[in-house]
Parts: sequence; structure tokens; C-alpha cells
Amino acid sequence: MVNSNADALGIIFPNSYDTLVPELVSERLMASIPFAGRYRMVDFILSSMVNHGIGNISIIVRKNYHSLMDHLGSGREWDLTRKNGGLNIVPPFAEKSVKVYNGRVEALASVLAFLRSQKEKYVVMADANIAVNFDFKAMIDAHVESGADITVAYAEQEIPAGMINENASIQNMYYTLTLDGEHVKKIYINPVSEGKQNLSMNIYVMSRELLIEQINTAYVRGYVYFERDILAPQLEKLDVHAFKFDGYFARICDMRSYFEENMKLLNEENLDGLFADSPIYTKIRDDNPTRYIEGAKVKNIMAADGCVIEGEVENSILFRGVKVAKGAKVKNCVLMQDTVVEAGANVEYVISDKNVTITEGKELKGSDTFPVFVAKRQKV
Amino acid sequence: MAKEMIAMLLAGGQGSRLYALTQKLAKPAVPFGGKYRIIDFPLSNCVNSGIDTVGILTQYQPLVLNEYIGNGQPWDLDRLYGGVHVLPPYQQASGSDWYKGTANAIYQNISFIERYNPQYVIILSGDQICKQDYSDFLRFHKEKGAEFSVAVMEVPWDEASRFGLMVADENDKITEFQEKPKNPKSNLASMGIYIFNWDILKKYLIEDEADPNSENDFGNNIIPNLLRDGRQMYAYHFSGYWKDVGTISSLWEANMEVLDPEHSGINLFDDNWKIYSRNSGMTGHRIGADAVVENSMITDGCRIAGSVKHSILFAGVQVEPGAVVEDAVVMGGTTIKAGAVVKHCIVAENVVIGENAVVGAMPADGEKGVATVGPGVYIGDNAKIGPNAMVNNNVKGGDEQW
Repeated sequence: MVNSNADALGIIFPNSYDTLVPELVSERLMASIPFAGRYRMVDFILSSMVNHGIGNISIIVRKNYHSLMDHLGSGREWDLTRKNGGLNIVPPFAEKSVKVYNGRVEALASVLAFLRSQKEKYVVMADANIAVNFDFKAMIDAHVESGADITVAYAEQEIPAGMINENASIQNMYYTLTLDGEHVKKIYINPVSEGKQNLSMNIYVMSRELLIEQINTAYVRGYVYFERDILAPQLEKLDVHAFKFDGYFARICDMRSYFEENMKLLNEENLDGLFADSPIYTKIRDDNPTRYIEGAKVKNIMAADGCVIEGEVENSILFRGVKVAKGAKVKNCVLMQDTVVEAGANVEYVISDKNVTITEGKELKGSDTFPVFVAKRQKV
Repeated sequence: MAKEMIAMLLAGGQGSRLYALTQKLAKPAVPFGGKYRIIDFPLSNCVNSGIDTVGILTQYQPLVLNEYIGNGQPWDLDRLYGGVHVLPPYQQASGSDWYKGTANAIYQNISFIERYNPQYVIILSGDQICKQDYSDFLRFHKEKGAEFSVAVMEVPWDEASRFGLMVADENDKITEFQEKPKNPKSNLASMGIYIFNWDILKKYLIEDEADPNSENDFGNNIIPNLLRDGRQMYAYHFSGYWKDVGTISSLWEANMEVLDPEHSGINLFDDNWKIYSRNSGMTGHRIGADAVVENSMITDGCRIAGSVKHSILFAGVQVEPGAVVEDAVVMGGTTIKAGAVVKHCIVAENVVIGENAVVGAMPADGEKGVATVGPGVYIGDNAKIGPNAMVNNNVKGGDEQW
């Protein structure tokens, strides 16, 4: 293999943490939630893998994945239309005896035959609930150098409120690590601890061989969750290392964090933190450039292409194709693709999903801790 | 399977009247309208009209153009059979030759066209801004039973003598062709877009090539020869927006017209006739808390902290605090530093305009100058570039150039 190739294959779990944001996933999954003006959540981890020499990526979908299939297509935008490797979307195998998977173990068990037939030495695994420009090469290098069996990425942060709330079901488990140097001594599941923790990013590197072996054993025993059933009980037996990530990232844990993480990108330091290292690819829509008509007033915004702005917009994120008509006022809002704010309408602290229309003269206001959400295709 | 019609796109022009902009760039690759290049227009027209096979004839500075076209995927022209093909002059057993003229360029690629065995060939020009449905043009060609048709625009009579003119009867049949005549008999200007029956085109190309005195040009040789032989020649009236952006001022003007689609007629915002382009892939643009943006077009990757009025900014342009951009076309990757004033001008790609520098000026009465800064140029702090300047080399801080 040439140097540019990481000798690793990627696996992405696009449905992880779906239920933390029920409003946003009613017609989609975590991975296809629009984020940062022109992207979907999956774009970040997918582009990071591609940019670091991982060109064989499987996405094991669970449910609500039409929007993701539509977004990814053949994977061309991520340079993943390949003869060898490329993008591989694995839908649930519909059969009487097989049900939709719950945890990573079941998901991976469904692709064991595929994993066995691949050539890459390593496997990297990630969820899609974190938008990050992640250096997989550095993590794989650290993994190889340390000689660890498994390496897990973590960030030092407080546990987000959205993860702790009562919705935190067994599907939304989060993990903190106790470390001895780089060695993981203990893994806590759903702890309620205050202050900064070593919160796992659920990004893993391990050898393909070990993964196959572990999944094989675990699946036979009826295990479901990779962290709970494989990692945590075997910390004595397996050498698990931690890889600290101290760059910028956005973790989606509930509607509030979704709103805040979008808004944080109005700070150019954060924006550069997420985008400066290497390009994030996404589906191309061929919109024309955004047009600011005479009389438009804009202050502190980020906007994608295809918008037409005639009214006033302040402190907001505009996705592709948003229209703000004359006399309309938009403040502190996240407006997704093709949202239309008609003349004279006044919106503040609003998250609008795709194709929403705020009709003429309407007033709609949320608050900074509780933004109003308008679902896909609704007319207000 | 034979194709009904394929397109041959003449993209070899040097565009020498665009000076600084085309030193290292073929004219069809010149950026236009915020995120496009000129060639995006004919290519998008082709695919929107249902033409899936396009030969692009290149000759002058083709590197950027070649890379831009790539496999044609952005225009949906990556096809198993057909698609887009870049056709530079090549060596043949009988020797090799540059393209001597527009007709010779097609002549040298007869074997390319024959691979698709088309009934019709449309000849396009790679240096015009125009949204046109070629399928309607073909429908006209077939209805008239034409062997050759040319798209024409009505131009004002007092400007007619600048164009190649078609004199046609009430049935649109062409009776005479006048190349830039002193006394025009018609105001139907040729747009340089032709549909030929392939058998006719081939016959005349071969005949023209055999004539040692020919300039091997469509306008000067092929069309007069067709007239001489009394071929079925028709003029197809086109009334939409059409602009030959061959000069700095017409390029600037056409960009400004994009800002006013309601009056100018060039609408890039039409979902039914999208103009495709190779994307920058940059993230959404940022407009700062103290920025002023009015009546402008801004695209991905831009960071605006200063004031931008009536301007077109391409991908990744940075306008620092206190900088003023007005009536300007600023191409991709250019940085306009704090306090700089950029007015009524074209600034090419990857230029740096230093702090408090001044580029161009709003025209005084009767003046028309559009200052132009070539690609990659560095304009030092406090430098001054006059309204008629054409800057190709770096300008030191404090210097003036007029």
C-alpha cells in the first residue's frame, strides 16, 4: 500500500442517538440531519475518513434511511465511487428471523462475512452525532505505535445536559473513561458526574481480525452493545488505549444543543475549527450564489448558496435556498433548506426544517433556551 | 446507436481583448457570475437541451480548462457512450497542425464526429453568455427542411455594421450574408451558433480544406460557399439574453446585469434551466456583525467584514473590516485587506489588495474605464490603481499605476 492509504476500512453507525432529537429524525436519521448551512451530520465523519486515506466505508443503517440514501447516492461527492472499496450502504437484511439491530454488536454481526473478505488491516468505527474534522490518520498512527488492542477517542468536556435527561434510554448510552496515562482503566456507562469528564466520542480503531473475533464471540452469547458487553468487561484482558481529541467539534444531544452548535459557527474561530483543516464534502445542489437585493440588511450570519435576501437577517444560519422577503425579520434563527419567510413575517429563535413557509405578516418567537421548531413542509 | 445531434464547442479562442484575465487562461475558462465559468453556459445549455455528446475544441492555454471540464460530471456529461471530450489538435500519420481556423478545427475532428454518426451537428461558441434551448433550434431546423441554420439576434440598426449579418426573406430563408458591412441590409446578427446536417457539413469541410486560399473559417468561407451553391439555409430568431463577453467592459457589464435579472434578462436563478458548474466545495459564506451587504451576489467561502455594494464576489473572497467594495467583480480566493477601496473594476483570482490600497474609481462623466487586476497579483498597502489600469504584475506599497 502507498502511504496515502491508511490501510483501514471505515464503519459508520448513522442511527446512533437518533432518539435524542425526535423532532429532527421524524423523517430521517441522525446522519442526515442538516447542519452548518449546507451539510448533513454524516458529511463530517465521512469526509474526515476520506481525507485521511480511508476509502472503503460501510454505513450500517437501521431505519429511516431514505434521506441518507438520497444524500449519499453513489458516494461520488466524497470520492467514494470506487472499484475497490468505496461507499457501501448496508440496509437491514429483511428476513423473518432477523430483526432490526439494536446495538453495535448486532449491526456488526450482520456484516461479518463482508468484514472477513476485506483486505484492510484496521477498522475505524464512528457514529454520526458529532460534527468534527477528525484526524483519523493521527489516531491510527497512535494506535499502531502504542500496540494497543483497541483505541478509543475522547474529549474532555462536561456531560451535555441533553444526554443526561430522562430520555437517556439504553439506546442512548454514553461513556466516560478513567485513564491511567493513555490506558483506559474503567468505562462508566451513563454516569451523572459533574465537571469535566473524559467523554468518549465513540470513535474506535482496532484490527479487523480482533473485531471479527470479538463480534463473533459476543454475538453467539447474545450480546448487544459493544461498549457495555465487549469493552467494559474486558478492560483487564484487552489493552484499550485512549486518544485525546482537543480540536473543535459539535455534539448533537437535543434540540437545544442542535440550535446552539449551529449558532456557535457564527464565531469564525469555531467555523475555522470545524472547516479549516481539510475539506468537508457534501451533496452538490448547483444553487446559484446567494443574492442580497437592494434593501436587504444582514448582520452576523452564515448563509449557503441559493438564498435570496430582501428583508432583515441577524445572528442566523441560513441553509441552501432560503428566501427572506421584503420587510421580513429573521433573528437568532436556524432556517433549513428552502425555508421561505414571507413579507412582513417576524421570526426569532426559530428552527425551521426543510421547505417550511412562514406566511405573510406572521410572528413566531421562541427563546434562547427553547427555540421553536417548525417541522418539515409546515406552513405557519 | 447513432446520435441525433452532437455539439462541437469552439473553445480555442485566446480572448486577447481580455488582456490580464487571459494570460494563462482560455477565454471560455474565464470566471463569470459568482461561481461559473463562461463555458458553463453552453455546456449547461447542451445538457438541458438533451444533447449528451459534446466535443470541446481547445488550443490556447488549455490547462485550466482541461482540469475544469474533467470527466464532465458536474454537467452530467460523464456518459458511457458520448459525454464530453476535450479535443486538442493532435498528430496524425499525415503530420500535425494547429487548428488554422474554426472550420479547420472541426475538419480535423471529422473522425470524432463520425464515431457517433449523427444526423445533425451543432457548432457552439465557448465565449458567450447565453441561455438557449438548442432543442428548439433543432426543431426549427427540421421544420424548415434546412441543411444549415444559424441562430440570429436582432441588433440595433446603428450597431449592425459591427456584426456578421444574415439577410433573410419572410420565410427566414437566408439570401445573403454580409460580414461587418458598411451598409447593412439586415439587422440580424449571427450568434456564431450553427446547426448543420452532418453530410452537408462534412462535404463542405473537405472541400474547404482542399482550397489553399481558404482561411478555413465558418463565417468567411463555409457560409459563403453554402450560399454560392444555393443550399437550404435558414435564420433562427433568438430573442433571449445573449452577450459576447469579449472585452473587459462587456465582461464587467454582463456580471453587473446578473445582479438585475428583472431588467437585464439574464436570470441565473431559474430552476428549470440550471447553469451547472464545478463547485468550490467551500462552506457557507459569513457576513460579520459590522458588515454592510447590499444588492450583491455572494457565494460559498466568502468572509465579509467590510462593505460590499452592487458587486459579485466569487468563492472564498475575503473583505476585511473597513474595506469598501462597490460595482466590482471580485474573483475567487482574493483578499481585500482592511481599509482598501475597490470600485468599478474586475479583480481576478487569488489577488491580494493591501491595506488602504485603492483600485479603480467610479467613472466620471463620459468615462467608461474598468480597472483590471490580473490573477495572483499583489497590490501593496496604500497603492493606487487608476480607473483605466490593467495590472499584470505586483504593485509595491504606495506606488501608483494608471
